Amino acid sequence: MTTLAPTMGSFQMASVAKDNTPARTSKMADAASAVDQDSDESLLIAVGNHQDTAAFNLLFGRFASRIYAMGVKLTRNEQLANDLVQEAMLTVWQKAPLYDLDRGSAQSWIFTLTRNRCFDILRKMKRQPSTVSADDIWPPEGELDSQFVHEEQGSLEAEVEKIERYYDQLPAAQRAVVEQIYIYDRTHEEAAAALNIPLGTLKSRLRLGMGKLRQLLGTEE
Amino acid sequence: MNAEVKFHPAEELLIGFANGTLSAGMNVVISAHIEQCAICREKTSRLEAQATVDWLKSTESVAADKDDSLSVPNFSHMVADITSQPQLREQALEDDSVSEIHMLDHSVKLPKVLAKVASKGLVWKKLAGGINQASVTLDDQTQCEFLYMKPGSQVPVHKHQGTEVTLVLDGSFSDEMGKYEKSDFVVRDKSHTHQPVSEEGCLCFAVLDSPLMFTSGLARLLNPFLRYRFNRATSMG
Ligand SMILES: [Zn+2]
Repeated sequence: MTTLAPTMGSFQMASVAKDNTPARTSKMADAASAVDQDSDESLLIAVGNHQDTAAFNLLFGRFASRIYAMGVKLTRNEQLANDLVQEAMLTVWQKAPLYDLDRGSAQSWIFTLTRNRCFDILRKMKRQPSTVSADDIWPPEGELDSQFVHEEQGSLEAEVEKIERYYDQLPAAQRAVVEQIYIYDRTHEEAAAALNIPLGTLKSRLRLGMGKLRQLLGTEE
Repeated sequence: MNAEVKFHPAEELLIGFANGTLSAGMNVVISAHIEQCAICREKTSRLEAQATVDWLKSTESVAADKDDSLSVPNFSHMVADITSQPQLREQALEDDSVSEIHMLDHSVKLPKVLAKVASKGLVWKKLAGGINQASVTLDDQTQCEFLYMKPGSQVPVHKHQGTEVTLVLDGSFSDEMGKYEKSDFVVRDKSHTHQPVSEEGCLCFAVLDSPLMFTSGLARLLNPFLRYRFNRATSMG
């Protein structure tokens, strides 16, 4: 708590304070817009939420040749690498509705999904028994990331962006409390009065909200 | 749930797991371990993030179309076909494969991936020394098997030819280097000589990542605990 609070403080000044509109409807769409309309995450969410083919086209352009390169490296076969592009990007399309920001970065999500398709393609090519497939071996894409979120060795900016993203994913009641304390800098008593809730409720929501943020940020002991 | 797991895969193996460069057999035994080991799940998650960074870095010039060593075909024709396909709205339900192995007096719940491996049925063979073995074929690079050591069984001293991984699923066994319990991931290679003993009985899944020369029918005899027989036979002959 004591270590995170100062970071929260600086982040509010930098970014959330400029937007004082807490009335929100779509958590997901909002988390996306809080980041960057053009980020891989936003595009992937657009593909998942409304089959946005323009967004898919952009993702395709960004990742197809990288997937091909990974395929060539792992299979040493250009035809298989070509198949991998087809299968991995098809999986991106099909599974996009299952993606959300809790599942880590879009890049990691696409990387693991590509790795898995590659494993299956290679097995098929080598005619190995179909006893196990990649989906039996690796947890669903992003599931590990939803359990553990890692601090990136990055700038404060990246840190702020992350908090911003996760902040938007808090349940509204917890977010309102965190907002009162860390963004409007109110005391517990003032915040409870402003939100018209008992002090005990405020404290427990604050604890839950901060716990969730800390968990998302991977700073939990 | 398994705070006491003492033996884990080396980072090098987890890196291979995260990057998808290992054999199916090795992937399976690691998968079974990480299902029960939060420490290694966390590591794997971190290593996947690292693998992603490495991938993006190593393909930067390819993505920018500035890599002359790799001629990347034009894939744009794929897009229309892909976007005409339906999307998934929920994670596929897990199939209800057999997830338990029945022992004499109790059942052992298997990790998900091993339940899948065992779902087509296991054929147990009795071997000398109170050991039962059920082989499964996952690829052409590894020999994999479930091994059941009866209480009080002991395997004579033997050496390893390749790298052997033994994952304890139930019970325990010991050798000169330690005692191994549920979820422990035990690695032995040809530099080790060991003599596993199980006082209380033990169910394991073992993977021998063998050199390619072990692809003959003979290789089936070379299960990790019994390879000593082969060594003995050849040295005696
Ligand atoms: Zn472990």
